[in-house]
Amino acid sequence: MSVDLKFKLFKSAMKLAMERTGHGAALGLKLTKVEKGLIEMIFPYKKEVIGNPITGVVHGGVIVSLLDTCCGCAAITVAGFATVTPTMDLRLDYMQPAEPEKPINISAKVYKNTSNVVFCRGVAWQSDMENPIAHCVATFMKLSKKK
Amino acid sequence: MDARDHKLTNFSSKDFEFIAKRSREIGSPQAIIDVIPYGKFIGVEASVIENEIQYTMDRKKTNIGNPSLPAIHGGVIGGFLELASAIESIYVLEINAVPKVVDFSIDYLRPGRYKKMYASCTVLRQGRKLINVSSNAWQENKKIPVATARCHFLVP
Repeated sequence: MSVDLKFKLFKSAMKLAMERTGHGAALGLKLTKVEKGLIEMIFPYKKEVIGNPITGVVHGGVIVSLLDTCCGCAAITVAGFATVTPTMDLRLDYMQPAEPEKPINISAKVYKNTSNVVFCRGVAWQSDMENPIAHCVATFMKLSKKK
Repeated sequence: MDARDHKLTNFSSKDFEFIAKRSREIGSPQAIIDVIPYGKFIGVEASVIENEIQYTMDRKKTNIGNPSLPAIHGGVIGGFLELASAIESIYVLEINAVPKVVDFSIDYLRPGRYKKMYASCTVLRQGRKLINVSSNAWQENKKIPVATARCHFLVP
C-alpha cells in the first residue's frame, strides 16, 4: 500500500476514534485538519462543561482535554502507525478566559520528533489565533504496540 | 440552589459567595462542586476524611480516552486535578469567588485504568496575589500515583 493511501486510511480512523468514542464524543469535538505533525480541531460551546457558573465560561479542564487530545493526535501522525504515544507531561498557560457561547479552535504542531520522545506545542483560540486563550507544551513517549 | 440542571441563568457572584460560605458551615466541599456543571460532567465528588478533602471521580464511559485499553483520558485526569485544586483553594483558604487559573502543569506517571480515581491536594503557598496548589491522583493505592499536578491561581 502506498504511504499516501495508508495515511488517508489512518486519517479517517483517527477522525472516527476522536469524534465517535469516549471523551471526544462527549465533548462533541470535530477534527478539521489532519496532516503530518499538524492537527486542528473545533469545540462547540457546551453548557454541560461550564466551570464558572457566574459567567458561563467553560472549565479549564476542558481546555486541558482539548489540547491533550490535539497534541496527542499530532504526535501519533509523526510517531508512526505501529506506536502508541502516551502523554508524559503537559504544561498549560492560560492567557485569558474563553468567551462563553462561542466555539473554541485548537491547533497542535509537532516541533521535534526524536527516537523516543515527541515534543508538541498547542494553542487554543476563539476569534484570533494571535490572541489565544491558552498555550501548551506537551511531551509524548513513543512505545511500540504490544502484540 | 443547584446548577446541576444547567439552570445557570441569574447565578450571581453573591450566590457563589453564599454557597462557598455555606459549604464550610456544613463541612461539605461537595456543595461547591454541585454548582459547577463540569464537576457533574466528569463525575467528581468530594468529602472530608480526617480533616483532609478526598476527591473521587467515578468510572464513566464518557471519560474514556483510549477505548482499546480502556484507559481514562489524560485530559480528564488533568481536568479532575484542576477542579480539585480550585475547590481546595475555595474551601481551605476561605475564598468566596471562583479563582482564576494562571497555569497548570501535569506529569502522567501511569495510565489511568477504567476504575474509580481519587485525588488529594495541598496548598503549598498562599501569597497576596498567587496561590500554588499541588495535587495527586491515584486509583487503588495512594502510594502508587497515576498523575501529579501543580496549579497557580490568582487570588480573586
